[in-house]
Amino acid sequence: MDSKKIKLKLKNISLSYIVKDKVFDAAVGVSMEVRDSEFLVILGPGRCGKSVLLNMIAGLEKPVEGHIRLDNEEIRGSDERIGMVFQKLALMPWKTVMENVEFGLKMKGLKKRDRREIAQKYIDLVGLQGFEKSYPNQLSGGMKQRVGIARAYTNNPEILLMDEPFGQLDAQTRYAMQDEVLRVWEAEKRTIIFVTNNIEEALYLADRIVLLTNCPARVKEIYDINLPRPRNTIDQEFLRLRKLISENTDLAL
Amino acid sequence: MRKTKIEVVQSEYERKEQLRRRIYAVLPIISVALLLLLWFLASSAKDSNFPSPKDIVDRFILFLHKPIKDMSLLGHIWASLKRVFIALGVAWFLGISFGVFIGWNKKANALLGPMFTAFRSVPPLAWVPLMTMWFGTGEFPKVLIVFIGALMPVVVNTQAGIANVQKLYLDVGTIFNAKSRQMLFEIAIPSSLDAIFAGIRTSTSAGWMVVLAAEMLGGKSGVGFLITRGMDSGDYSLCLLSMICIGLVGALLAVITQVLERIICPWTAKKSS
Repeated sequence: MDSKKIKLKLKNISLSYIVKDKVFDAAVGVSMEVRDSEFLVILGPGRCGKSVLLNMIAGLEKPVEGHIRLDNEEIRGSDERIGMVFQKLALMPWKTVMENVEFGLKMKGLKKRDRREIAQKYIDLVGLQGFEKSYPNQLSGGMKQRVGIARAYTNNPEILLMDEPFGQLDAQTRYAMQDEVLRVWEAEKRTIIFVTNNIEEALYLADRIVLLTNCPARVKEIYDINLPRPRNTIDQEFLRLRKLISENTDLAL
Repeated sequence: MRKTKIEVVQSEYERKEQLRRRIYAVLPIISVALLLLLWFLASSAKDSNFPSPKDIVDRFILFLHKPIKDMSLLGHIWASLKRVFIALGVAWFLGISFGVFIGWNKKANALLGPMFTAFRSVPPLAWVPLMTMWFGTGEFPKVLIVFIGALMPVVVNTQAGIANVQKLYLDVGTIFNAKSRQMLFEIAIPSSLDAIFAGIRTSTSAGWMVVLAAEMLGGKSGVGFLITRGMDSGDYSLCLLSMICIGLVGALLAVITQVLERIICPWTAKKSS
């Protein structure tokens, strides 16, 4: 497969809200291309813009202007080719790990036996075998996020959106989960769009980094990261890029 | 061999924790003991009309030999409970359905909400005179009044639960292309089960209270009737005995609904363990 093939195209996306009779721009004229099977990280300071961008790709919010094309077809609303791992986990507390993971397949109307089989594969892939019957509140933060990742993968999306998935984890778990995500990505190549505000995390994971401006979000710069994996966070080149991006990043208020 | 005394070393925290646990184990016993003491004092005062614990036991034994209206004490309790169960069954079914409907459908809520709010501010017992004039003093009007009393909390809680489903969970449904029906049955209803259960708990205790009041105002069986009978015949012990039964059965009902909740919503129970 040609790795330079364009999978997803954002063209002139803008979104604004009306807050107390004032127009508040969250994103202005954002255009970017996402290549097939690449690990794209959207990096940006502060709180606005990044998640909104992902939500628009996911179909949770509608852009005021511009359009999104997937495989050269315009998409509106949610699309089953796009999956998402949520920042706030969003596991359903009333469902067991297995029931959470198989949720997407159940919505598609798959038979119980078939969907259990597929779900089991991804539960094993993220290393949660033995916890199928546990409820989310019996799991640690890292385990919960693994369930979220397994749930997204089980639906077999072509594009996986990850919205600051490790923002709520402690540093140790965060590093472990970064390796985990890379491992799963290497095992099951998908296009991943990963949002973070952490430069080091972005550099550790990304094939390419899209740097956004502070509110409203615009594309400031796109970096190609050609470091070999696994990456060494104290490598000269790593540190040089880190400094470069850091200096180019807007200060979030 | 020399005997050595084994000393268990406890940290300050452990000692405090142990003390705390003991206090909490003893407190309920103290409260029951205090209640009994108060009871003895009240009943042993000069010219007291307050039946003593012994009077209650005697009255209970007398009841065993001499049923009232051909019914044992248990028979009367069962007569009250039967009314409550029938009314609760119908109220839960209709109340949850209606609550889900107006909770999920904003237009339906706008249309029916205000009417319902006015309806539920009328206390169930205010219906008694009308019910009696319409339907007499048989079983049906009593069950109907209990039904009215039990319906309100279920509808209100269910509606609130369904209307306040976290957007996050609905977003998950959107991402996975859930249809509207799946959104309701897979997400909205399960996520509001704890709210629905709060309604069920309230409706159970409300139903038990309303049935007794309804029976006191006219009836030939039930615990409420026993109290009225006690009053009419100046039988203090019968009144108090009936009240004790009401308390015990009410507590039992509360425990049963709690167990029911644990079985139906296992994830809420696991939170504490």
